[in-house]
Amino acid sequence: MTKLSISEDDFEKFREFFYRKTGIHFEHSKRYFVDKRLIERIETTGYSAFREYFSFVRFQASGEELQVLTNLMTVNETYFFREDYQFHCLVRSILPEILLHHRQRDPIRIWVIPSSTGEEAYSIAMSLLECWPQISDWDVEIISSDIDTQVLHTARQGHFSARSVAQMPAMYLQKYFERQQGGYQICDALREAVEFTRVNLSDREDTRAYRNFDVIFCRNLLIYFDDVSRKAAAETFYDALKPGGFVLLGHSESMSRISALYKVRKFPDAIVYQKPREA
Amino acid sequence: MGLIRKNSAPETPATEKRSRTRSCDSLQQQLEDASPVARRWAARDLLDCPQAVPALVARLATETDMSVREVVLTTLTRLGNEAAVNGLMACLQSQDAALRNEAIVCMQQLPQEVAPIMQQLLASPQPDLRIFAVNILESLCHPDVESWLIQVISQDEHVNVCAAALDLLAEVGTVRAQAAITQVRSRFADEPYIQFAADLAFMRVTESRSRNDKIVD
Repeated sequence: MTKLSISEDDFEKFREFFYRKTGIHFEHSKRYFVDKRLIERIETTGYSAFREYFSFVRFQASGEELQVLTNLMTVNETYFFREDYQFHCLVRSILPEILLHHRQRDPIRIWVIPSSTGEEAYSIAMSLLECWPQISDWDVEIISSDIDTQVLHTARQGHFSARSVAQMPAMYLQKYFERQQGGYQICDALREAVEFTRVNLSDREDTRAYRNFDVIFCRNLLIYFDDVSRKAAAETFYDALKPGGFVLLGHSESMSRISALYKVRKFPDAIVYQKPREA
Repeated sequence: MGLIRKNSAPETPATEKRSRTRSCDSLQQQLEDASPVARRWAARDLLDCPQAVPALVARLATETDMSVREVVLTTLTRLGNEAAVNGLMACLQSQDAALRNEAIVCMQQLPQEVAPIMQQLLASPQPDLRIFAVNILESLCHPDVESWLIQVISQDEHVNVCAAALDLLAEVGTVRAQAAITQVRSRFADEPYIQFAADLAFMRVTESRSRNDKIVD
């Protein structure tokens, strides 16, 4: 049997197509990563060459194979309480400011994208329960979204590895998790507190209904986007936020380099970005 | 009170109640809506309507809300077709400096689409337009950037255009530009800024050779 390979031309075709569909741009340095996964899928689906497989992905009505590929091509490296200074900022600075203008009957809405396997959304939930006394006076909704359906399934199950919980304060582990064979199971109360949804941030039809958020966590996703997609994502967040709402990006990311629409807010724990209240 | 879950994802587009129709014609009309939110959504959805480029470009001339302007510019960039590039090029003629700068930033993100019109821009009878063309080159990810800059300093008669190109060559130039830098220095022997900019550019491109030599070693 001839060994499958991905030519330069194949790579360019796939890269352009995947970018249009997801906003994710692969540099040439990612060639090995992309080729390896493409070959894996070509073999699994029983095709003999890239050309036939690519045609199948492009024209499959259900989009199922594109979703499988997307799941394989996205990086889902995360752990509990990663960059936890932003959770401190949420409870110490952002929420108190939001409450100054918030109507009591409306829930405070937090959107986490990308969700990955749920560690970030659950970390936010635990931070609110443990470090924000006003949680007893307000309703808080956490919606956690990802393009990858496989990680969303894992997030909903709430079963995590020892490595994933390694940075978590011991008290939280004891209170919210149960030791199980091969890892830790998060408690049902937390599992039921977070809504996990499938969203492609680059798809206007997917994001259109996501509105009225007070806070958006979008950490370490935009680094995989090119400039135009990054700007489009910032504009999507702008319409997803309430006036005065906040965006938190990863430590190496800066909204100031993406869009001029947001105000930079320097809080003691973190720098975050705010949609102007008068918007 | 506490953490709540509504047990339903946000409304999907199929179930969502849309208050406005989304045909290309109606979206173009909504670019004139009194609400900036409606104008933003219209500008975003016009990504599916390549024929709407003239309406989008026209909107830029009157739109005062920055959030709408940004979406219009992003849609033009994402469309990236010939009409969009021509529309952005037309913005370079605007009296509005902000619009000119916005058009330059958009064009910098379209290297393959802008490359075919670069000669036309660099040959414009207006020196200002030729300077904007050099400004576009500043962040254009295209292999011909240095060649275009060498062409400018070798042929352009206008001191400010050459000065802009020299400034950029000092950043991105290589030894290929050395001869042209020496020539432009002679061509504008009475212009102190060109003398300064050419000396700096020459020094930088020579440094770039030394650096490359070290890497090769």
